[in-house]
Amino acid sequence: MNRLSRVAAVIGVGHSDWVGDWARVRAGERPDDNYGYGASAFRNALADAGIDRSRINGLIVGPTTAYERMAEVLNLNVRWGDQADAVLSVIQAVTAIESGLADVVALVYGNDQRSVGTQYGGPQAMGGDMFLSYVYHAPWGMTSQGALYALMFRRFCELYGVTERDLGHVAVAQREGSSRNPNAIMRKTISIEDYMAAPYIVEPLRLFDYCLINDGGVALILAEANLARRLSGRPVFVEAVGRYDLNQGATSLEPRLTEFYRPAQQAVAEQIFGASGLDRKDIDVLQVYDSFSVHVPLALEGYGYCGIGESGKFMRESGIGLAGALPTNTGGGHLSESYMQGWNHQIECVRQVRGECGDRQVPDCRRVHYCSDVAGKAVSIIYGA
Amino acid sequence: MMLQNSATPARVLGLYDEPFWKRLKQDGRLSLQCCRHCSTWRYPPGPVCQSCLSPDYDWKPVSGHGEILSWIVFHRSYLPEYSSPYNVVAVRLDEGPTMISNLVEEPPPGSVIGRRVALQPVEMDDGVTLPRFRLLD
Repeated sequence: MNRLSRVAAVIGVGHSDWVGDWARVRAGERPDDNYGYGASAFRNALADAGIDRSRINGLIVGPTTAYERMAEVLNLNVRWGDQADAVLSVIQAVTAIESGLADVVALVYGNDQRSVGTQYGGPQAMGGDMFLSYVYHAPWGMTSQGALYALMFRRFCELYGVTERDLGHVAVAQREGSSRNPNAIMRKTISIEDYMAAPYIVEPLRLFDYCLINDGGVALILAEANLARRLSGRPVFVEAVGRYDLNQGATSLEPRLTEFYRPAQQAVAEQIFGASGLDRKDIDVLQVYDSFSVHVPLALEGYGYCGIGESGKFMRESGIGLAGALPTNTGGGHLSESYMQGWNHQIECVRQVRGECGDRQVPDCRRVHYCSDVAGKAVSIIYGA
Repeated sequence: MMLQNSATPARVLGLYDEPFWKRLKQDGRLSLQCCRHCSTWRYPPGPVCQSCLSPDYDWKPVSGHGEILSWIVFHRSYLPEYSSPYNVVAVRLDEGPTMISNLVEEPPPGSVIGRRVALQPVEMDDGVTLPRFRLLD
């Protein structure tokens, strides 16, 4: 067993009004800032957990806000704190709980990326200070992260016979989920024909392969397992976590172009399935960090849900929609629900396990696998009842 | 889809990058750092050899030949210097490193993955010499 298995559970989730704020921002308003979006999400997560704010003794904030300022805004003095992205903040919270540094940890993220016009391409691209590949190739016009995934997908198609039409199943399946999700920004279903008719952005990727860019916030509250059982009638446990990073040749895009992140995902699969006693058949729902649709077929293959080169066939025939063999990104993900940089996926994991997903609920959902494979950093969490 | 010359979008110019651009401009050949101990080539430029961690290196010309790993076509313009549509290719140089660049010609119909290419330096409007590639066969 992994030492972090069932050490902690999520007892509360919350988010800001993604749909309402989308409309307000498009109307030219600036409804809130990073801290305000985080604060609304935190209020909702506290209410969902049904605990008093004074019970919180750990805080992790997302990379878009300063730790101290967010803690000041939320008026939280804590024994332990940090700043991390979505998936790593969950893992760090569990680690802090396991080591006794804290026993109730709030994770708070807020991002005003749409209303302030955050750039994801060009020499000033967000993340360029952390990932040299985001800015290094600008002299050749190679910018925007979608272009990096387009380059990766082109070679993937060439080697394995996967087609652009196959990739369309990601956007179509996620719209099926978001059409039944009142919190989703894009709620109109689309067909494969709609997908194919949409314009290329960076060929071979089309409009529907790209994530939204919207304002919003997400918060989660995790507690030590026994405490979680006392505080909450419906704790959702972290069953397993794993991570492996491919950094060699990262700026030249080697891990993308020659390995498709696969060795990292395979190493993580061994950690989360081998160590936890769980296997792929125990997973009812898959959630994939989907800045671009391409992440989904790569995850299906890398984590072993289908064979190498078989993701096109798997999506086409077995299915990743709500009634498919492996329902994936059931809330609509970044493509159609909300682009909260992996944070909204954590909420969907929790709600599917709790059975709160209404029309998009996957029946008898007991375990959800979340994976994030940004820039060759493969990280996974399994959530379970 | 022919690339129009323009100014060069901002380059990353760290402590080790300058000789890459300067040498290309001076002699029209692509030069990379080569480890003095184990002869491993490196790109992008950096402080130590990825293979043996030695800090000792020489700038040496490479053949300028390579093979296309993948290619894409931008249909949206993200940079004022590049108007769409335009192509971007990933080239694996014969010496080992992979470079992101452009084909100077319009990519022919069908796939160009696996096609051989040769360096084609291009003088940009701002005086920067940019390493691009042309199809060989």
